[in-house]
Amino acid sequence: MTLTNIRSKVLRIYPPDTNTDEVISGKYKYDELDLKKLAVHAFESIDPTFYADAQKVKKPILVAANNFGCGSSREQAPQVILACDVSCIIAESYARIFYRNGFNIGLPLIECPGIAKNAKQGDELEVDFTKNVVINHTTGKTLPMKPIPAFMQELLEAGGLMPYLKAKHEKK
Amino acid sequence: MGKTLAEKILSEKSGTDCVPGDIVTVPVDFVFSHDGTMPLAIQQMEKELSTRKVFDPKKVAGICDHASPSPSEQVSNVQIFMRKFARENRMPHFFENGDGICHQIVAERFAAPGKIVIGADSHTCTHGALAAFGTGMGSTDVGAIMAYGTTWLRVPESYKFQIDGDLPRFVTSKDVFLHIVREITADGATYMSMEFLGSTVKKMSVESRLVMSNMAIEAGGKVGLCAADEKVRAFLAKYGRAGEYRELAPDKGARYAKELNVDATKLEPLIAAPHRVDNVRPVSELAGMELDQVCIGSCTNGRLEDIKTAAEILKGAKVHPHTRLVVYAASRGVLLEAMKAGYIQTLVEAGAAVCPPGCGFCIGRTVALGDGEKVLSTQNRNFKGRMGNNKAEIYLSSVPVAAVSAICGKVTDPREVMK
Repeated sequence: MTLTNIRSKVLRIYPPDTNTDEVISGKYKYDELDLKKLAVHAFESIDPTFYADAQKVKKPILVAANNFGCGSSREQAPQVILACDVSCIIAESYARIFYRNGFNIGLPLIECPGIAKNAKQGDELEVDFTKNVVINHTTGKTLPMKPIPAFMQELLEAGGLMPYLKAKHEKK
Repeated sequence: MGKTLAEKILSEKSGTDCVPGDIVTVPVDFVFSHDGTMPLAIQQMEKELSTRKVFDPKKVAGICDHASPSPSEQVSNVQIFMRKFARENRMPHFFENGDGICHQIVAERFAAPGKIVIGADSHTCTHGALAAFGTGMGSTDVGAIMAYGTTWLRVPESYKFQIDGDLPRFVTSKDVFLHIVREITADGATYMSMEFLGSTVKKMSVESRLVMSNMAIEAGGKVGLCAADEKVRAFLAKYGRAGEYRELAPDKGARYAKELNVDATKLEPLIAAPHRVDNVRPVSELAGMELDQVCIGSCTNGRLEDIKTAAEILKGAKVHPHTRLVVYAASRGVLLEAMKAGYIQTLVEAGAAVCPPGCGFCIGRTVALGDGEKVLSTQNRNFKGRMGNNKAEIYLSSVPVAAVSAICGKVTDPREVMK
């Protein structure tokens, strides 16, 4: 079983080392348990119009340079991105905890070296899981992506870590 | 085949002869989360697994440290949610406002060589200083561990930091780490096991080693391990846990993916300037810059030796009238010892605001900065907005640099004024 390809428009391109404090400020995460409400503050400190703009694009794609999601382990970071209806993130690389958190909650994280320089806001991108490439339909350029490890694919197919574990433990 | 510390622990725990890249399932010896991450972990258990029952109440802890004592009704309600869960599960280890920062509590009471310690906090790598495989995860992972008691780990490649020679006066393990992150950058060890070895580390107290392990995540590290030696045994014995000691060191022929040699004798006091931990400068380069606030404490530098160093430097002196000094001991135990030794008396007399143990200033939840303020802190992270204000500038240093700078009201090299 392979994952279904993702095709959508680029909403934003974020710089290297974008950290989880920037994704969702620490000052909110202790007060609010409702992720939909928390999502209003996504990227607020570095990109105040993010939330409003995210409402205008259907299932947008986020693009980032290297080490996206570094810093705090807060799962609220990928959670608010998911709550903004983002279909996937395509970055040059990710910080480890963010990477793990993304797959755990069913947010596909694509590693694609060179993507930050080869995509612009509004470009139409397609993630092709069978050929392991990212196609920029606006420029016509195709870039190779790192294949998603088999275990992480299983997590995504199950809809995240919890459904995956639940199915496994029920089988026993 | 020789194994690194990470490969040794994961091979033993998974019952496999594992190599980097393998995905292994391991039992978790201790799992914890705090008021910033535990509520979401509980929600995930309830929503996705339809359970609120933990796998083993003795192996799970909840800690109110990030916003503690609670500054708002929202936080208080979140903490009620945590307490209810802990009581339902009859968890013996629930830590209240003022007990301290999760990593200090876990280091004192639960982490030990060869154990798997998972926390819903990125600085869980701290416990590598006790040769525990400590690593941070998100709330869903921690929710799953609280329910099932196991987790999956990808066996990391290892990065060896061979640190040798005596550290010069006023140069600390904080400076060793800042030097390393300057060399390898903030993602230089992403996904990797950082292993701190060599004669400098052997001579260091466990408290000093905890500083480097704590900051491993700031270079992207998954764990920050040190070998377990007699000093680790003595540390555990102090907390009545000598029985949990075992020697643990990498094998002689261990294969490291990367290595960096550090000559400790050549290091100097360093500062990480805004807004990146790897934006590291010698103190001399920033000397003279006026400071609005100096913060001493955090899970990086809030232990007894840190409070002692601060008190020794501030004894008989006063904090500069244009600067505020905020001090947080990392745990109730640290605070009690510091009180007994007279350090707290000294710091209060010098003009410090001494606050109850907790995360405090580091995340700006109970102590926040004003617009345009410059702060020098002994914490581990200086991201924009970290201390509660996007318009503030955060500089990171060791305790000696922070204490001397508090007296002078500006960034000061302790070697210049402490003859």
